Amino acid sequence: MDSNFAASANNLILGFGNPLQGDDGLGIQAVKMLSERDLPPYTRAVEVGAPGWGLATWLEGCSFVIMIDAVRMGKPPGVWQRFDSEEVRLIAAKNNLSLHEASIPEGLILAQALNILPEKIVFYGLEPASITTGQELSPAVQATLPDLVEEIFREIWNRNK
Amino acid sequence: MVVHKRIEVHHVTRVEGHGNIVVEMADGQLKDCRFEVVEAPRFFEAMLRGRSYLEASHITSRICGICSTGHAITSLQATEKALAVQLSQQTILLRKLALYGEILDSHILHVYMLVAPDFLGVGSVIPLVSTHREVVLRALRMKKLAGDICAAITGRHTHPIAMTVGGFTHFPKICELEQLYGRLESARSDTDATVELFASLSWPQFERETEYVSLTHPDEYAFVGGDIVTSDGVYLPVEDYLRVTNEYIVPYSTAKYTRDKRDSYMVGALARFNNNYDQLTPRAKDAAVALGLAPKVTNPYSNSAAQVVEIVHSMDESIRTIDKLLERGISLEEPAQISIDQAEGVGACEVPRGLLIHHYWIGPDGCLTGANCVIPTNQNIANIEADMHELVPHISHKPLDSIQLDLEMLVRAYDPCISCSVHVLKVTDAHEDR
Repeated sequence: MDSNFAASANNLILGFGNPLQGDDGLGIQAVKMLSERDLPPYTRAVEVGAPGWGLATWLEGCSFVIMIDAVRMGKPPGVWQRFDSEEVRLIAAKNNLSLHEASIPEGLILAQALNILPEKIVFYGLEPASITTGQELSPAVQATLPDLVEEIFREIWNRNK
Repeated sequence: MVVHKRIEVHHVTRVEGHGNIVVEMADGQLKDCRFEVVEAPRFFEAMLRGRSYLEASHITSRICGICSTGHAITSLQATEKALAVQLSQQTILLRKLALYGEILDSHILHVYMLVAPDFLGVGSVIPLVSTHREVVLRALRMKKLAGDICAAITGRHTHPIAMTVGGFTHFPKICELEQLYGRLESARSDTDATVELFASLSWPQFERETEYVSLTHPDEYAFVGGDIVTSDGVYLPVEDYLRVTNEYIVPYSTAKYTRDKRDSYMVGALARFNNNYDQLTPRAKDAAVALGLAPKVTNPYSNSAAQVVEIVHSMDESIRTIDKLLERGISLEEPAQISIDQAEGVGACEVPRGLLIHHYWIGPDGCLTGANCVIPTNQNIANIEADMHELVPHISHKPLDSIQLDLEMLVRAYDPCISCSVHVLKVTDAHEDR
């Protein structure tokens, strides 16, 4: 529950997308799965949908952010890729990655311009099979999403060691 | 020699979703003028069929991230009207507060991030970080507060989780409400600065009267529930919405259109302002004076100015609603009793962009057999085109990029949420199946 908004979370895991649009909702599903795990202190996993410019308000004050979203990278469906802080800053600078509805670059660019981009910011993109209307994830994404979630779970705990 | 001018804007920027502007002129005569909605069609109405009445609001709240609370509340209303569910005063107050939060969140994003750049001569909010840093920080600060209001009441920053048919499953803590109250009081200087900024801008001058359609309520400036009223004298219960909306389809667009007494009508902040001005808070009325607004306003560009007035109004009303909730205390009450029966119900709210209607048919097992959702942006598309038709001959002498900017600003003024508006069924008319 987000009702405890007043508590400060230094680490955020943000899930993007629309769960009524098939694989477009994989970021949301990933966050749901992570919310059921024991996350480190001051860590929240949040569904943010498509916040656009509003992403900057989420990033402010965080030291570590992981973002998860469906991304068309030209890879086989279900394959995921991790982009580290430098690569994410390049996205913010050049907007050279095709992300759904351009919501993430907008928010990153604004955060960068305001100098509130977190010290460490990581992006996990997973190639969707289909983003047409529907509430189910495709079999290809269903098969690999648990592995991605596990990887993120390890990363968020390793960060806190 | 015939002088041809053609403007095509693919995927108008700084609107939610994908729409194209197409304008063609020959020798100052308008040959073609369209606002094409090209978003991939969505089938939310079909998606609701067969789902339990308890799921409907959770599904529809995901139609769009910006309008999710509005969709959820309207959806719940449709089910509650169908099943004759009685709501407690606390539930009504909490839902109002959540919707004020969403109005604030959406309007602040729109006026600052989507509209202001045009007035300040830049392509986006990014250049404003260097030239108007405090303005951008203020916008984000206000937006965060608005989002936190929604999160406190609905349980989540995006799709609501605490609202259900008949009430709430989770409640805000008193300390959370008190903290919000304090932040809202402190934010008055931010709203004053917002009014001052937008009052200082040069608003495009263009008048075209249309029919203004909104909800109305005897006790307050209507957002959650009411009757339908129009500036052409129509006054109807929401159950009779079809007599106003008259949805139809055009070949070049994937969204449905509507019309009532004229060929088009307008919903949104300006329609609400024109119809319900007397019920604005005193500070909101002062803001209207500062912005040069007095009903009836017939300049569609002023929709954004009306949104600024509503930002002030919604801040005031949020404070007043929290005051009432603190006075009453929060009761951890169970949602109202529900008996399932075959039934039909219509919910209606004023969401940021205008009048939203959800009409549900529920079967004897409590599962939906059909749904009709009338989205604000659907209702505005015909009016956007009518405005363009009227505007273009007056600006056709200008350089092409200037005409294009005027048209893009016109579209942006309506704050269209194209993603929500595209939900036409692909095969047969849903009404025939019932």
